[in-house]
Amino acid sequence: MKRILIVDDAATVRLYHRNILESAGYTVEEAINGIEALEKSLLKPFDLYLVDVNMPKLDGYAFLQRLRGKDMSQAPAIMVSTEAAPHDQTAAYRAGANCYLVKPVRPEQLLVHVQILLGEICS
Amino acid sequence: MTEPTIKAEEFQKFREFFYRKTGIRYETSNRYFVDKRILERIVATKSGDFRSYFTLLRFQASGEELQQLTNRMTVNETYFLREEFQFQCLVNSLLPEIIIRKTDNTPIRIWSIPSSSGEEPYSIAMYLLERWPGINDWDVEIISSDIDTGILRKARIGRYSSRAVQYVPALWMRKYFKPVEDEYQICDDLREAVEFTQVNLAATADTRSYRDFDVIFCRNLLIYFDDLSRKAAAETFYDALKPGGYICLGHSESMSRISSLYQVRNFVEAILYQKPLEAR
Amino acid sequence: MPLIIKKNSEPFFRDERKRNRDCCSLLEGLADPDPTTRRWAARDCIDCLGAAAALVGRLKVEQDISVREVIFTTLTRMGDPLAVAGLVAFLRSEDPALRNEAIEAMKQLPDEMAPILRNLLADADPDVRIFAVNILESLRHPQVEAWLLAVIDNDLHINVCSTAVDLLCEVGTEAALEPLARLKARFADEPYIQFATALALARIGQA
Repeated sequence: MKRILIVDDAATVRLYHRNILESAGYTVEEAINGIEALEKSLLKPFDLYLVDVNMPKLDGYAFLQRLRGKDMSQAPAIMVSTEAAPHDQTAAYRAGANCYLVKPVRPEQLLVHVQILLGEICS
Repeated sequence: MTEPTIKAEEFQKFREFFYRKTGIRYETSNRYFVDKRILERIVATKSGDFRSYFTLLRFQASGEELQQLTNRMTVNETYFLREEFQFQCLVNSLLPEIIIRKTDNTPIRIWSIPSSSGEEPYSIAMYLLERWPGINDWDVEIISSDIDTGILRKARIGRYSSRAVQYVPALWMRKYFKPVEDEYQICDDLREAVEFTQVNLAATADTRSYRDFDVIFCRNLLIYFDDLSRKAAAETFYDALKPGGYICLGHSESMSRISSLYQVRNFVEAILYQKPLEAR
Repeated sequence: MPLIIKKNSEPFFRDERKRNRDCCSLLEGLADPDPTTRRWAARDCIDCLGAAAALVGRLKVEQDISVREVIFTTLTRMGDPLAVAGLVAFLRSEDPALRNEAIEAMKQLPDEMAPILRNLLADADPDVRIFAVNILESLRHPQVEAWLLAVIDNDLHINVCSTAVDLLCEVGTEAALEPLARLKARFADEPYIQFATALALARIGQA
């Protein structure tokens, strides 16, 4: 079973994403910010990351930079953000994201991107 | 008046809040434990029901009640070799890394704060002597601090109940302790191996001369601080550590609620935090 | 066991701060090439006249995270109008790290933030409104629920409302029941709002 880490400081958003992903058969863990996500990633690898941008202590960009920089994980990462401007997307890809979704994310939209990145369907 | 109870949704609300504040996450299977302690605090604070109590917890300006509750939720007991895996990590993982980096013969410096009555710094000293071959080649300074001068006096005397030493191996007991009445006196060699000092972590005048540490043990202290004080403490430690120096927090504490200044390191024995090597 | 040593007789600790501790030198120290000097200057200048402006100015150019964090801590401790105004300005920063550090600092300043929150929650930029709601997350102020209810009743932007509902799951009372129901109806086609309002209503309803 594929393992996904949700990194978001908003409890309701984590629960919303968790329900969608679990109902599609994925195993889900949660982290409240980038530091906790790094701690969890060091303990066991994840197949995919779902990462919010604005979080206390360590934001989504900085988290991905640390995750990729130390070669800790090259697993695909979806960045979810409230910001839709093109420069935000560019910054996300530069930091190491593989996909950029603007909140609020619809269940079917999230699942299709997860499946593409996990190689379960073709893009 | 009916006894207060905690409903399922209230438990969910509480656990999200407590997780955000402390990093400790309770599962539904922990409900008995959690409910019992919250109910206790509802009575102690005369809140009447969960709702008023939660409002107190969330909005109280001083944050005192959150500290009280955290205290009840965590076992804050001090005894020799508590959370021993971190001492294993020290001798098996940290000290070997430190030695490789060292370019001079100055002593390796370890800071243990809070000292409490001395169990932790003395445990470190014993561990180094018993489990670290490098002790024959390297000098180590152990400095241990506390805000409370009364407890520092106790630490310097070094006399302990049988409960405090219950996990110390028999061989170490014979070597480092002497029974006195129904207690145990730690030997002078160990007493002299630890320097006890008074420090208020929140006072920059107290902490500014603490420099060049290789390892800081700060376990089960910051979890009781408010958000700003724990952040400031992490910043103080940053200046107290050498580049590449390590911080050991308590097993239920996480730097994710404190600061982003440190790198997360995963050793066989424990997750620890490291000041970046390139930091100045 | 001679090799664990204790040097009673020698000075254990060194105070390596190079500069004088008068305010003029401290504020100059904020621009010192050595980050350790900058951190100590940022810590020690807390009582200096003009420090808030100097710290905010430094934040705009400071690249070292460790210095930035200390500056934010000092600005939070000060909490005077100049410091608060400086923090608020960073909500418009393009740098998410700077923004989030400013938000964290403002969460610690309930009384100082209260008079300006209403304006921030009505800002023309929805991103600033979202960040203003973020400040309420841990703010220990009795008005928090009322501010959140005004947001979900009046804000047209879905993500501003979404952020507010998330917090109402924690702080909502009976007063939130009707506004939540109205929000649910207003964004009837949005799965996230449906989910989050249902959760908030359940948490309040059972309490």
